[in-house]
Amino acid sequence: MLDLTLETVDRDGAVREAFDAVPASTRRAILAGAGATLLAALTRPAAASAASGGDREILNFALTLEYLQAAFYTETERLGAVGGRLARVPRQLGAVERAHVEAIRKVLGRQAVKRPSFNFQGTTEDATAFLKTAVAFEDLGVAAYKGQAPNIDSPAILSAAVAIHSVEARHAAWMRYLVGKRPAASAFDAPRSQREVGEIVASTRFIAASPRRTGRGKPRFTG
Amino acid sequence: MAGHVSIAVFDECPGEQGAFDELSRTTRGTLLGRAVAAGGTLLAGGIAIGGLPGLAAAAPSPAQDAAILNVVLQLEELEAAFFTEAERRARLTPALRRFARVVGAHERAHVAFLRNALGSKARKRSTFDFGQATRERRAFAAAAVLIEDTVVAAYNGQAANLTKRTLAAAASIVSVEARHAGWIRAIVGLDPAPDPTDVPMSATEVARTVRKTGFVRR
Repeated sequence: MLDLTLETVDRDGAVREAFDAVPASTRRAILAGAGATLLAALTRPAAASAASGGDREILNFALTLEYLQAAFYTETERLGAVGGRLARVPRQLGAVERAHVEAIRKVLGRQAVKRPSFNFQGTTEDATAFLKTAVAFEDLGVAAYKGQAPNIDSPAILSAAVAIHSVEARHAAWMRYLVGKRPAASAFDAPRSQREVGEIVASTRFIAASPRRTGRGKPRFTG
Repeated sequence: MAGHVSIAVFDECPGEQGAFDELSRTTRGTLLGRAVAAGGTLLAGGIAIGGLPGLAAAAPSPAQDAAILNVVLQLEELEAAFFTEAERRARLTPALRRFARVVGAHERAHVAFLRNALGSKARKRSTFDFGQATRERRAFAAAAVLIEDTVVAAYNGQAANLTKRTLAAAASIVSVEARHAGWIRAIVGLDPAPDPTDVPMSATEVARTVRKTGFVRR
């Protein structure tokens, strides 16, 4: 699993304590196993074949956002401009967002939208620009999942979606903490519609080529 | 894979890590219990959960919404009381004090929202006893992590059991709870988001976890 030990991030220097989160700890192993089980439940063939047309559309919408996030963190990690105590941020978030991508792709199978091409406009090459963009991406991810949760038909897909939703919120809080923004701006988080999210993503010009259906006309292997 | 979660106090008194160890043992025990037991009996202590569905989907209904909202209402009351009391009397670092102040206000808003939504169906107020957790900063931080993580898991565990309208409202709260969880974890140096997906808890598991803190007096 992911190696997610956090070094102490202690902006005001007042808290000198750190939890020794042993990566191989019993608790971590159990938690990781449970998380993996949830994603595995989502990707069982039964879940995919049971997904309604509406659910598939929502999953493709979520997949596009996850592609965007995964590519952003993966590219940042590869370029290496975000280093020092921040180096673990693109590494960890990249691994998590890639896991989300793979889980959703498995559910959708050949119905999955294709990964777009991205141009992150330099935000993966500078620590300050990276963090500001990460805040925006994570806040957007929270609002997007929240907007879609009530529209999901399948209880299994809904359970997986809310379990991703709250992880995006943890990420959002973490990124906001790192840039010195209040991690939880208000008592209630507002949802965003697919259209709003689409417009915000379009305004970034990060997507260089539109996603298309993948695997069209290709043989399908279900075994 | 042997191991444990422990608090390493770098600046002082390594012997005082007991509070978090105790809480992490509690969490571990709960998770272990969850891993091996399916179903399980409903526990009455701490949180009343009679008649609530577990993780398995039950047909959503307004009556079921009310039962679920009453459970999360008690959790929100616990949080509100905890942070309000900690802000008032705990010796906290500036980062922790700010956290307690902001989060306390959020939790009080959640309580008001849920009481208003439930109207006459709202449960009676509970009373709490937080002991050292609202006095001493390490005990406070450890309890805050446990409480926020538990509340996120509690909401997530009920998502599929709610009607769509109530789900939308709960979703606007749970991500704020997850932000709190990520925030307090960042302050104390814990991983803010240790898993690709947050692990849900059934109402039974939530009740057991809360009961073990001893925070709910009645």
